[in-house]
Amino acid sequence: MRLFCWLLGFLLPAALVAQNPFAGNAKEIDVGRGLFRIACTPCHGIRAQGGRGPDLTLGIYNNGNKDEDLFRVIQNGVPGTEMPGYTRFGDDNSWRLVAYIRSLTLRQEKPSQGSAAAGETLFWGKGACGQCHKVGGRGGPMGPDLTRVGRKRSLAYLRQSVVDPNADLTPGFFKITVVTKERRTISGVQRNFDNFSTQFMTVDGKLHSFQREELNSCEREFTSLMPPYRNLSEAELNDLLAYLVSLRGEVAQ
Amino acid sequence: MKHLSVYLWACLAWSQTPDTDWLHYGRNLSGWRYSELSQINSSNVNELTLEWVFQTNVPGKLETTPLVKDNVMYITAAENNAFALDLATGKQIWKYAKEVPRDLQACCGLVNRGFAMLGDTLFKVNVEATLVALDSKTGNVLWETVIDDYRKGYSATVAPLVVKDKVVVGIAGAEFGTRGFIDAYDARTGKRAWRFWTVAGPGEFGGESWPRDTQAFQRGGGSTWVTGTYDPELNLIYWGTGNPGPDMNGDVRPGDNLFTCSLVALDGDTGKRKWHFQYTPHDVHDWDATEDPVLLDVVHEGRKVKAVAMANRNGFYYALDRTNGRLLAAKAYTKVSWAKDIDKNGRPILIPGQDPTPDGNVACPGGGGGHNWQPTAYSPQTGLYYFTSSDGCHTYYMTNQEYVEGQWYQGSTFNGEGLYPKGSIVAVDPATGDTRWRWEMVSPPSGGLMATAGGFVFGGDPQGYFFALDAKTGKPVWHKQLGGTVIAGPMSYSRNGRQFVTVAAGQSVFTFALK
Ligand code: HEC
Ligand code: HEC
Repeated sequence: MRLFCWLLGFLLPAALVAQNPFAGNAKEIDVGRGLFRIACTPCHGIRAQGGRGPDLTLGIYNNGNKDEDLFRVIQNGVPGTEMPGYTRFGDDNSWRLVAYIRSLTLRQEKPSQGSAAAGETLFWGKGACGQCHKVGGRGGPMGPDLTRVGRKRSLAYLRQSVVDPNADLTPGFFKITVVTKERRTISGVQRNFDNFSTQFMTVDGKLHSFQREELNSCEREFTSLMPPYRNLSEAELNDLLAYLVSLRGEVAQ
Repeated sequence: MKHLSVYLWACLAWSQTPDTDWLHYGRNLSGWRYSELSQINSSNVNELTLEWVFQTNVPGKLETTPLVKDNVMYITAAENNAFALDLATGKQIWKYAKEVPRDLQACCGLVNRGFAMLGDTLFKVNVEATLVALDSKTGNVLWETVIDDYRKGYSATVAPLVVKDKVVVGIAGAEFGTRGFIDAYDARTGKRAWRFWTVAGPGEFGGESWPRDTQAFQRGGGSTWVTGTYDPELNLIYWGTGNPGPDMNGDVRPGDNLFTCSLVALDGDTGKRKWHFQYTPHDVHDWDATEDPVLLDVVHEGRKVKAVAMANRNGFYYALDRTNGRLLAAKAYTKVSWAKDIDKNGRPILIPGQDPTPDGNVACPGGGGGHNWQPTAYSPQTGLYYFTSSDGCHTYYMTNQEYVEGQWYQGSTFNGEGLYPKGSIVAVDPATGDTRWRWEMVSPPSGGLMATAGGFVFGGDPQGYFFALDAKTGKPVWHKQLGGTVIAGPMSYSRNGRQFVTVAAGQSVFTFALK
């Protein structure tokens, strides 16, 4: 009997919580956002894009992708990690948080209309994206590796990355410009930039390392070395995005 | 003959550099972090080399300022760990460790900033808000006292301050709706001698600076997590207090919110308030006044004045008359967007439109402030006061939040995304706050400072460098990559005619000396 009660105690709530009562409800999502700002931003960041805790805007979660999985994580935390449980918030608030997290990922759910195959051709051909980006083992190493970018980023973010790279820089991939004592100017993408030295990579894949005292000047700009691709037709852009979205880490490394 | 010259040389070195300890968090009770040792100076700083490394193997930030006495170094580490190390080799002599309660909540890591010492007894706080006394020879616990209940949101990280026969400590937890205080405990027994509440209650002096008939003051914050200083002549303890709670939502606590974001001067025997000075009345940007209150003398209007200096998180440097708390000078040392200036009574002249909003509002300095808690240094040799500064802004958000005991209660947050703040080390004239030099850094600073009679300011940075700057000009003269962020303040001591410089970086403690 006791065992039965225990089991019931476990199973009943699980059976009751399968559906999010607030899914897509703008007003409740707003309350969820307020809660998130207070309780979750210290670790997950103000835009839920991660920090001490993981990015929650990707729609793909280690602990399961269903609403009830998110609910369970918020209620119980992830044991053995920094992620605390929030049973004290009560079920409703946890569902509001789930609804809010979903509202961040939903924007990207509309699949891109282009052809991934055409996008791949564009990527390695006319677009010359492969000059700076690796997919699997192929391509140049200066920019961020795009092998898993379709998992990591939203469609909106990817679109912006292509047409307006400066709008939201990939963390750490900043522009370094040095002028040597011989008055040679070299620009590349940051690998390290500190008070005494800098290491950066140029588009030819070469790694440069300088001590500040060897240089006339050494500057960092929070801008992208990626050219904005504004001249692509809408169809080309959609193809390219379809290709980027298809990059989910399954390419042979 | 050869032997004789060696002896002579050794004697000469010895006479120049007598054995020197480091017995207090801030080196002396005035908090100068100034070492009178000068063996390491501009003629030989290039020869500074690593003597030993001690790896604590404790995860978490290492914020300790080591103490040195006899032939032992005492350090504390995160998560209730502490070690005694052999000075010559860095080898462990004993270790203290206590499990952290699993349900403990702390805003900023389970850190600890170091020991205090009286005779052969060491004092440290444990993060679950207890104070423990250890036998320095063995690491054995002599007593442990509960400061307050961690389940209410209190935690402790501060290095204690010994004042006569008492151990003075502060508390953390203003992000959890707690009411702050400063406590003194009997060094022999661990019994509490007095408590000063940093949030004035109803009917008390300052109580009218909180809304009437509410519980706001009970959740009013004002934590005290950085070690104060002590003037034996005036018998006054100086201690900075933190932000009011909830940090970003001032609507639930109209008023000045005394004694948050203030400096309080307390009687060394009774803990009674002699005076207070509030740097940021009704703070809504988390600008704790938990920075080093450094006691130094300045010349003000032709007269020597006993002053207390603080580079406040709100972006202004302040010098106060430490006998009465009157303002001597205030000057911005970084970009400030929230106040035009400080008036002659010490009150900020506000610029409107700088408060946090639900959708975010940019204000400067950022949430960590300009200068934060990181140890500062004063050199009587140069007459300059040195501190680190984060130079930039943050977006501040405000949210209405229900109070739940023991839970995060910040009324939203701040965020620096896309704003890319930088950092610097600043040297000011402590009498006026005029900047004498500024060494720019690529990012907000992380580590503390120490000044030496060798003519240096030692410091460390987030990228793992330990470095020395020329104390007069701010020019870097030496640096070494240690492979871990420097958060702690450096310290120096001497043994057998040699000067040593020690700093914690990453999870390890590094000691340098001339070859
Ligand atoms: C103290 C830091 C911290 C706080 C506060 C925090 N989280 Fe987390 N969170 C984490 C960490 C770390 C993880 C990753 C756990 C792991 O390793 O699986 C995580 C994981 C998660 C996950 C699962 C992600 C996945 O991929 O499965 C969700 C969902 C989540 N958090 C939501 C929240 C929400 C909602 C809040 C506020 C109510 C919150 N978290 C507050 C640190 C935190
Ligand atoms: C000259 C080098 C260069 C070329 C050519 C280039 N990129 Fe980039 N790309 C970068 C750099 C550097 C960054 C990182 C800075 C930033 O965020 O813009 C970046 C960032 C990105 C990102 C964001 C990655 C992330 O995870 O945040 C995407 C997506 C991207 N590029 C796609 C493309 C595509 C598609 C093309 C071709 C149409 C292309 N890039 C061409 C250098 C380049």
